[in-house]
Amino acid sequence: MSEETTQESTSDSGLIGTLVESEYLPVVGFALGLLVFPWLLIDGLQLIGEFIDVSIGGYQGLPQLVLIYGVVVVGFNILLGFTGLLSFGHAAFFGTAAYVGGLMSWTIGDPVVMTIAGAVVATLLAWPIGFVSIRRSGVYFAVITLTFGQMLFFWAMGPGAWLTNGDDGFSEFQTSAFLGTFELDQPVLDTLDLVVFQLDMEAYTWEYVFVGIVALIAVWTANRMLHSPYGLIFKALGENQQRVSFVGLNVFRYKLMAFIISAAFAGVGGAMWGIHESYIHPGTAYYWIQSGDFVIMTVLGGAGSLIGPVFGALIFEYVSNVISGVSLPVIGSIGSLWRIVLGGTFVIVVWAFPRGIYPPIRDAVSWLGSLLTGQGGDD
Amino acid sequence: MSVVQQTVSILLNGLQLGAIYALLGIGLTIILGTMNFLNLAHGALYLIGSYVGLLTIKTISLRDGILADLGYQDVGLGAGFLGALLVVPVVGFVIGVVMERTVAKPFYKRPHTDQLLVTFGLALVVEELVKQIIGGNTFQSATPESIFGITTSGPINLPIVGAFPRWRLVIVLIAFIVIGLTGLLIARTDWGLIVKAGTHDSEMVTLLGVPIGRSYALIFGVGAALAALAGLIGTTYLTVDPGIGTQRALIPAFLVLVIGGAGSVRGAIVGGLVLGVVVSAFQQTYSQWAMIAMYMLVAIVLVVRPQGIFGSVEVEG
Repeated sequence: MSEETTQESTSDSGLIGTLVESEYLPVVGFALGLLVFPWLLIDGLQLIGEFIDVSIGGYQGLPQLVLIYGVVVVGFNILLGFTGLLSFGHAAFFGTAAYVGGLMSWTIGDPVVMTIAGAVVATLLAWPIGFVSIRRSGVYFAVITLTFGQMLFFWAMGPGAWLTNGDDGFSEFQTSAFLGTFELDQPVLDTLDLVVFQLDMEAYTWEYVFVGIVALIAVWTANRMLHSPYGLIFKALGENQQRVSFVGLNVFRYKLMAFIISAAFAGVGGAMWGIHESYIHPGTAYYWIQSGDFVIMTVLGGAGSLIGPVFGALIFEYVSNVISGVSLPVIGSIGSLWRIVLGGTFVIVVWAFPRGIYPPIRDAVSWLGSLLTGQGGDD
Repeated sequence: MSVVQQTVSILLNGLQLGAIYALLGIGLTIILGTMNFLNLAHGALYLIGSYVGLLTIKTISLRDGILADLGYQDVGLGAGFLGALLVVPVVGFVIGVVMERTVAKPFYKRPHTDQLLVTFGLALVVEELVKQIIGGNTFQSATPESIFGITTSGPINLPIVGAFPRWRLVIVLIAFIVIGLTGLLIARTDWGLIVKAGTHDSEMVTLLGVPIGRSYALIFGVGAALAALAGLIGTTYLTVDPGIGTQRALIPAFLVLVIGGAGSVRGAIVGGLVLGVVVSAFQQTYSQWAMIAMYMLVAIVLVVRPQGIFGSVEVEG
């Protein structure tokens, strides 16, 4: 028996081994995760909730929201986690793309076109803002990016109200079907027949498919970039900026590009967020709290790891949308307590786990994995 | 309204707004200058000052929050403004010292980004705690009727401007007395000497055998007390709600820091006044653009003179 197992495990490591060695492992893992994510988040948690008699299941639409923020923070992480620049103004790009997407829908309502339009404008906006901000570092960079975000907020609330509808919010979305045929709010399949039982497929709407594809492209792009020589320079900048300049590289240019790239991701996310919500208010699109939320998600999940921030987005959105409505037997309704819990968790993470919560989990899993394969050899 | 009248009015309002900004900026700048520590929870200190002030000045009735649930619908000392003027700085000082010992100290050697992040989280927690305990509703301002028998409410007739709220003048007076006292503290005492030397080169101060670590807690306490005082002053003429810490204190304080130059007390005073006058000028002319102008001013300063008006070196992140 022992011989057989050894042979099997060696042949396994041939296939799985190449995958584990490959840089695409996180992307493949993410893609597989996308397939089961809505089911786990909604039905899976619902099932667990029934056992402990607390309703903790997600709702339809939450998976999309998590992925939308996931796209934003995967990009934000390129700036914060790798290049080491803390921006408090990425709502500027997020919000602008949402508004541009909404305005675009008046002429062409295809979500793909809306997202591209939003992302392009956000990227173009990032150029001048980055050009000014990148000259400073540390707190100055944080403050100057904050000032640009806040300027746009006050502009959208007051002088720009003719375009953004100000405090009343922008709700004139004329989003049409995805690629002209697939209605966003329709499920792909009603039910999936798995012989033993039927799986409810309501959560797998075309919107989820659309957002999921974009998220996969975003993760793939970020992964490819960070493994390229270009991305290595971003990492080097985060480690030691002075040495990068000693090598003869133009530090300013690379920092600016990291800023613009992260803004493009924020733009893609922002435009999709507009499509998802069909309502934009300056307070949620542009206000600095939104920028702060990106920071929280990224750091909570794990700044400096590719997928980590997506977990941060998942925890953030899950806690703020589901846990906030949970009523516990002893404590009662959690309600607005969630921000204290989140803030406290955030402080603890920054304090004790500067790498975020994802990397330790990943390490634990790979340690368990190595333990299992190691035991497999011993048997 | 003639041009002269408007100009004087803008300057008066700007002076009042700027004095509060300066109080906030001084606290932030001495902490940054000596300890090289960036405190995003500075707004939380203002928030605490506001609520402690409100509860000391008068009795307020609560509608929700933990205190109301426990049966304390009407809370407050009703000790008046003078009482608050004594209580608030002390509370601020104690909280500042505790914060330095528990939160700031472990982060002195960590990168600025970590300091920003941890204090950002702390600010969120404080804001939410206040919301939970006192409730999220907005309270009216508590303008004192009189101090030492002198009437302080109602309008006063000033030359050129005409009717002007009497209390606003008192605010300017109080703020400048506090700023003056802080200035004296720094300019005339041994402790001030350490602060000044520390803002210049804290490593050198340590090498000279001065136990600067002991001064750190004191400096943090003074900075916190100033922020809390600014909160108290804000309470006397503006409404109070849990969101004011960030909106009215944290962001202006950092903008003052950037305009004036990090680590410079003089810069914080001048920066505060410049910011106050600019905001007040736009508020009275193109009010929609007031906030945009404030941020624009900061962006221009950062581009043209990155070290600030009085700053000598840029703080590296």
